[in-house]
Amino acid sequence: MRFSDYLTKESCVMDLKAVTKEDAIRELADVLAQQGRVSDEGDFIKHVMEREKLGSTGIGNHVAIPHCPTRSVKGVVVAFGRSKQGVDFQSVDGHEVNHLFLMGTNPEDLNVYLKLLATLSKLLNDRMFRREFGDAATPDELIAVFKKHEK
Amino acid sequence: MVLRTIVVSIAGSSGSLVTAKYAIALAKLLSVKLVALYVVNVKVLQDLLKSRIFVDVEARVYERDLEQQGAAILERISKMAKEKNIEFEGCLMKGVISDEVLNKTQELHADLLVMGELKEMASRADVFYDEGERILRRSPCPVVMVKNPAMVETLYKEMGP
Repeated sequence: MRFSDYLTKESCVMDLKAVTKEDAIRELADVLAQQGRVSDEGDFIKHVMEREKLGSTGIGNHVAIPHCPTRSVKGVVVAFGRSKQGVDFQSVDGHEVNHLFLMGTNPEDLNVYLKLLATLSKLLNDRMFRREFGDAATPDELIAVFKKHEK
Repeated sequence: MVLRTIVVSIAGSSGSLVTAKYAIALAKLLSVKLVALYVVNVKVLQDLLKSRIFVDVEARVYERDLEQQGAAILERISKMAKEKNIEFEGCLMKGVISDEVLNKTQELHADLLVMGELKEMASRADVFYDEGERILRRSPCPVVMVKNPAMVETLYKEMGP
């Protein structure tokens, strides 16, 4: 199961405008909604923010993975956003977040979703991946880095 | 040689019912008991907790939801087996998928293991780490891998009760 199969260039925002956690999540949810991947954007954002209340999904190394299961999305959805100025995510390491992966799943697809989260986690633990992923300047380059490291 | 038990591994994916239908057809044809296994993948939840993507309460909710999904799919397969007059048992387990499926297959002295098609290999590592690959390679009994859903549906429909 490849993460790169779920990440499209249309769902990558290489220069997020948002500076707050909620606005960043909203900006990425907008992108997914525009692609018809989200049936109720407000409900999706509400669920993601409720999950954030349990504990920040800022996992360190300037990365956050806000996520939730909800019937408001079709299948498993992934959007990526990069923030040059950084977003305050109350991350575990106290650093601001520059790379966000917004993920959601319909409850019917939980098994696929969990495997994708595990794949992303494994990739992000790889220092070489993190460096190349950080250097990718365009959505095409970003997806190519995922494909390379998933081979 | 007398065959007694067929085991079918249910992954919970959209293709699971097709796999179950083929296993039911085989069990009917061979007049044997069918045991369906569904494993809640606790390992992936533990990994996500460790990497701090999940928090405790969240992992517990996912585990509960996966259990409910597993119970629901086993119940559905049970009804299908009953309609075809087959002796059936459903087993809901938790742990590492391949370990649980293989241990149960061994414990039951199953004569045949039925599983869904392997997904496309993304990397060489899949040969070692993919749960389906592990089941296929380490199974203590012959394995049938179900392909061609359209053919299975036709076979299932044409098979009497």
